[in-house]
Amino acid sequence: MDNQFPYLSAVLLTPALGMLVILFLPHRSTRAVRWVSLASAGLCLGLTLRLYQIYDQGAAGLQFVERVPWVESLGIFWHLGVDGISLPLVLLTSIVFFTGVWTMWELSHRVKEFFALMLLMIVGVYGVFLSLDLFFLFVWYDVSLFPMYPLIAIWGSTRKEYGALKLTLYLLAGSALVLPGILYVYFQSGLFTFDLVQIAQAGLAPDVQYLGFFLFLFGFGVLAGLWPFHTWSPVGHVAAPTAVSMIHAGVLMKLGAYGVLRVGMYLCPQGLVEWSPLFALLATAGIVYGALVGLAQTDLKYVIGYSSVSHMGLVSLGLATMTAGGISGSVFQMFAHGIMTALFFSSVGHVYDRTHTKLIPEMGGMAKVMPRASFFFILAALAGIGVPCLASFWAELLVFINGYRAYPVLGVAAVLGLVVSALFMLRVVQKTFYGERNERHGQAPDMTLAMTLPRAMLAATILLFGLAPRLALDLINTATTPLAGMFR
Amino acid sequence: MMAEQLYMFLPESCYLLMAAALFALSLPRRQSHRRIYAWALALSLLGVAGAAAALAARGEMFFTAYRVDLFSQVFKLLLAVATFLVITICGDLAGVEERYHPEFFLFLTTCTLGMMLLISAVELMTIYLSLELSSFSLYLLVPLRRGDNIDVEAGVKYLFIGVTASCVMLFGMSYIFGAVHSTYLSEIMDKLPLWIHQPAAAVGLLLTLSGFFFKLAVFPFHFWAPDVYQGAANQVTAYIATASKAAAVALLIRLTSLTAGTSLYLIDVLMVLCVASMFLGNLVAMVQSDLKRMLAYSSVAHAGYVMMGVLTMTRLGYAASVFYAMAYLVMNFAAFMVVVKVAGEGQDLKIADLAGLHRRAPLMALTLMMALFSLAGIPPTVGFTGKFMVFTAAMEDGRFWLVLVGMINATISLYYYLMVIKAAYLAEPADGQEPLAISASTRALSYALIAGMVYLGVFPQHFLGLAENAVKNIF
Repeated sequence: MDNQFPYLSAVLLTPALGMLVILFLPHRSTRAVRWVSLASAGLCLGLTLRLYQIYDQGAAGLQFVERVPWVESLGIFWHLGVDGISLPLVLLTSIVFFTGVWTMWELSHRVKEFFALMLLMIVGVYGVFLSLDLFFLFVWYDVSLFPMYPLIAIWGSTRKEYGALKLTLYLLAGSALVLPGILYVYFQSGLFTFDLVQIAQAGLAPDVQYLGFFLFLFGFGVLAGLWPFHTWSPVGHVAAPTAVSMIHAGVLMKLGAYGVLRVGMYLCPQGLVEWSPLFALLATAGIVYGALVGLAQTDLKYVIGYSSVSHMGLVSLGLATMTAGGISGSVFQMFAHGIMTALFFSSVGHVYDRTHTKLIPEMGGMAKVMPRASFFFILAALAGIGVPCLASFWAELLVFINGYRAYPVLGVAAVLGLVVSALFMLRVVQKTFYGERNERHGQAPDMTLAMTLPRAMLAATILLFGLAPRLALDLINTATTPLAGMFR
Repeated sequence: MMAEQLYMFLPESCYLLMAAALFALSLPRRQSHRRIYAWALALSLLGVAGAAAALAARGEMFFTAYRVDLFSQVFKLLLAVATFLVITICGDLAGVEERYHPEFFLFLTTCTLGMMLLISAVELMTIYLSLELSSFSLYLLVPLRRGDNIDVEAGVKYLFIGVTASCVMLFGMSYIFGAVHSTYLSEIMDKLPLWIHQPAAAVGLLLTLSGFFFKLAVFPFHFWAPDVYQGAANQVTAYIATASKAAAVALLIRLTSLTAGTSLYLIDVLMVLCVASMFLGNLVAMVQSDLKRMLAYSSVAHAGYVMMGVLTMTRLGYAASVFYAMAYLVMNFAAFMVVVKVAGEGQDLKIADLAGLHRRAPLMALTLMMALFSLAGIPPTVGFTGKFMVFTAAMEDGRFWLVLVGMINATISLYYYLMVIKAAYLAEPADGQEPLAISASTRALSYALIAGMVYLGVFPQHFLGLAENAVKNIF
């Protein structure tokens, strides 16, 4: 494995390189900016697919590991690697990144800055998923967060400045818990290394795990939309421009859940055991709360925002079960929900661009006006409800079964929450896309073929993983089965 | 022997020479700003070269009252760089009346000289004299501003608070002398740990430290900062905010190391000051509308972060503080450079005045954004690495809560930095505002600063190593 091509560094540095190229392009050459972004996104997607193909499921564990000393006196290493948990999420990132860039093709306002910031954010996202060094993980975590502020505040819509500020402050307040947590673990482990794998192998004292998990749970949990710290999320989603919503809801929120999983649960398994009842309770509260509040929304993006809160609650509930099945379901749900939400936001983005409204009462009969956009929205809605043959079905099924076994009462409540969310999704679909046609938007054009393609990619992914869930689940299980053994 | 002594005194000699040259230049009745500026720039560059060349100098001078070691030389180089940087943005001293320009550069030089002497001084009287040399230069620099007497108010305020701090410091020194019967730091260091449990010695040391708390604008010695930052010419503020802070950090490290961490009482007091500075600075900065006032309060908060490293009194903590001082110098200077360039007439700059900067001068907006993100501690900038280091040091010392408070403060500070970024990046320029003309040299400086902030943030090894080696000598 020594002289292998450094796939992970390549995936991580491609968008960074793209960003540098864009920075040195003149402001006027917007075509070049778009092509550079798309090229780096395409390259990342290609590399990720290749990774997915050559990852050895028989061997399992961390693969493609790269380890180079960075600041040796402190034990900081450039340490990358993927396993069955991170690889699907890297794939998710690549897909959403690629389709996101494509979706924003028609952007005309401050193009260069938009794509530069978007690429920077993606570098951060890849960094978190790929890093096995706590220092770098934190650095990338922050790098992925702060471009959100300008991205939302400059290119966003509804209450954009408020949304951007709230989001940034919430998320960085979360990271204010993570950094003390990391330093605490660093010193308490006695190893003086930020190497996640080494610390996990050495194990930490129970009381260290107790406090450590608390910090990681709430620090990363803010980004995972953990109730009651989720309020930034719908506001931020609504304010953000289409591609940013896609990446944000699709990928960025997963960083939070991934952080809880990779840092919190790996390093502090006993901490999870102690805190799991609270974790499960908050997760279920999020599922039910998101669904109920979603019922009352009239803005399409708010509807999706609250359904995201609800679905991210499912991810958390899966983690809190502490079983291989539950965690696998949770990771698969991260993937499925990411693709699904990206499709949601990308269809709504199109509707908004053409009709300049996101308000449900102002629409109606859109299925006749924009058949393509409507198809994609409805497909995403069905996926969200958990219709069989679509990717989320398997994920949600796994979480519910294991959730019910671990916490019978909460499991039932979560299922009820899902029923409510199915109800409100169908109501939204009915009111927006069927029913009486609103003549005001009668002439709004549908997606062009070129703009249909990225959405079709997302839709195809949902179907593919729905019909063949083992494509992902087999891979995920290689990592979650040994992990679940740590919670006894 | 003579050559060796000259080598040890090289940086100081450069600035002595520079002061003499500027004094000579200030004598003719008619002067040209361009000529004096060119001289000052060239001489300060020479100063940087001198300080860099003398980095390897070691030894003691002046009856062992003056120590030249890596610690002092690193800080001298920092000071020289800061002075050079400040002089580079003095090309158009619109905020100062033209007839005072020679004096402006002269006092800048003497102030730097005073701080350099201060850094190497290891004897209480020498410390006091050097401090006064730099302070008096600053007392003169602050009111050197064209305009409506706000400068005089600031100058008077600075003078009175400064003199009071000096008095308190002298008083403290008398206690120390009373306790250990010596003014030499090396002897104090031997005896003080035995005496530190006596109230007189601890109080004496604390009062001595207040002179430097004043310089660093640590709570409760910060009251001058907002008024002086606002009232002084922008370039003078840039100097106070960068060079003078670095010198204060050096002396805080030197003096606190005297106790070798034996005084829990002192550490507790430092911790209270550290936490109070962070909260006060950050909370009050949120409501400021003047950019320089905001930066003044943010400097109070940053003094708190530096103190976090100092109060651990460990090698790692001191090294972290030294690194933080370097980081702070670069990022704060970058912010002030933008202030100076955007306020072309040398006027005060409201945050709202930055509106549309991204259109009027994209590079200035980018520099400002990087500087502010760095001050807020966002990776991959040097500000993050600096904060990370002090937090690591504090955690190593077992101060979990302090780290948590520090992180909470970093989050609070993000709010007001974002408000500035919002003004610069979101708002469109008001009608009639022309694009700013940015000279090629300013462009180059901006690129260098941005690159420096990122480079130091991503590859801190060398500078961290330098900081660690520097603090080895003080124990």
